[in-house]
Amino acid sequence: MANESANEREAGGGRRWSSGRWTTVAIVAVVLGCALTTLDFLWAFLRAPMVSGANLSDGQAAIINGTVVSTRLLFSQKIFYFHVPVAIVSFCFIIAAAVYAVMFLARRRESYDLRSRLCMLVGLVFIVATMISGDLWTRHDWGVWWVWEPRLTTYFILMLLVIAYFILRAAVEDPETQARFAAVFAIVAAIDAPISFFITRLVPSSIHPVVIRTDSGLPPDMLVPFLAGIFGMALVGFGFFRLRLTLEEQAMEVESLKRSYEELLD
Amino acid sequence: MGKGDSKPEGTLADTASGARDAGAGSPAASPRRASAWAQYRALLAKDLRIEARTREMVVSMGVYAVLVLTVYGATLSQTGDALDVLNVASGLLWAMVVFTSLLGLNRSFSHERADGCMEGVLLAPVSRSAMFFAKATSNFLFMLVVEVIAVPLFFLFFLAGAQVGPSAWLIVPPLLLGTVGMAGIGTFMATITMDTRGKDVLLAILLIPVIFPLLYACVSSTSIALLDVVGQMGTYLRSLALAGGYDVIMLAAAWGLYEFVVGS
Repeated sequence: MANESANEREAGGGRRWSSGRWTTVAIVAVVLGCALTTLDFLWAFLRAPMVSGANLSDGQAAIINGTVVSTRLLFSQKIFYFHVPVAIVSFCFIIAAAVYAVMFLARRRESYDLRSRLCMLVGLVFIVATMISGDLWTRHDWGVWWVWEPRLTTYFILMLLVIAYFILRAAVEDPETQARFAAVFAIVAAIDAPISFFITRLVPSSIHPVVIRTDSGLPPDMLVPFLAGIFGMALVGFGFFRLRLTLEEQAMEVESLKRSYEELLD
Repeated sequence: MGKGDSKPEGTLADTASGARDAGAGSPAASPRRASAWAQYRALLAKDLRIEARTREMVVSMGVYAVLVLTVYGATLSQTGDALDVLNVASGLLWAMVVFTSLLGLNRSFSHERADGCMEGVLLAPVSRSAMFFAKATSNFLFMLVVEVIAVPLFFLFFLAGAQVGPSAWLIVPPLLLGTVGMAGIGTFMATITMDTRGKDVLLAILLIPVIFPLLYACVSSTSIALLDVVGQMGTYLRSLALAGGYDVIMLAAAWGLYEFVVGS
């Protein structure tokens, strides 16, 4: 037991050194990410050209809930530069959470469980941002707050799954069981992320256009802010994840120090 | 036999003797350890025997299904001729199936937990896959029995005067695929929620989002079958393929992850 806590202290010492360095990296990531995202916004509003409405697959205007989705020049399309990057980053975090969950189940280390949970948490923040921005866009362009369209439906389900993940964690007392169940559920939940991502390719009737493709034909004035948005938001997300991870690790270290201090007193 | 003598000692002893019988019955299996197939049969026989003695699952699910139909009766009572029930029939049918299954899945682990049966089975050298598939099969069978009673009742109560298409029997494949998926994924999720706080609500919270794609595909194909399949066969088959594919993916995931759920 004493040996174990000595090991923990040693590991804690190593962590303190690296956590300081990671904090710097995280802060740089957040600042750089914010700068890129700002560039995305400025470019989107000042330089990117106005475009016509949703690029429907057959080139025809569609009628959704009585409103014609026309090919007018749409100022609301500017939300594309925010909505799509934030959605893509949310998918990345859900997948990362599942990868960490697999690693936890394979190696049973607490640190993987912690990373999986934090990826889910950052993922949830991005999912909520996607839902809000998407809903505003839906209301403006399609004339409805909500429509049970395949992409929206699967993404809504993804949000419910991530919320369920945290409810599940809260409902299990034992830390080991909690980590195990959460990892299993994270993997099951992540099955929905690729479904939601690829649904616009599988179901051609979907109103969402296929955005990520090699022949996208986005002109540079649109592609640059779009990519800046993706990388910027990914960096912000990564920075948040890293800062929170350092915080949690430090909290765990304090707990272990407290425990060894109490042992010393005894 | 009375209800009193069956539980709680019955479950464990039944499992053990069942496994021994099955192991002795198959010459290929070693005398020490029954094959996975024998384990599966023994565990399934245990669940079916409990049900035969208590009739708890089928009765509670059946009564619940009738209650859901009663609620439908009230909710549809003021629509008069304005609503063609046929258009919403498949949705109503599947809502009944989902809620009834949720109730049954929650109940399916109550014996395992209350009588320490789960610990007994886990102590025996039983393969986790056999455990999962045995429980999923018994849940599937109970749900199927309830559907055999409740679906005709649904037709009797709500579709007696409706112009149901001649292809109405085609609702059977989606019902089967949906029930397989719900029993499989539901058994997996119910094993997770068995030991948690507020397990009844938690099962619904975990299960409904996960089965959503399956539900969507099943409602779509059932709807086509009830209205008229002519000209819609492609969509019907695509929905069925989607439901089947989702079943396969999710059952594989549940099977692979089950050993992590029951613990070691």
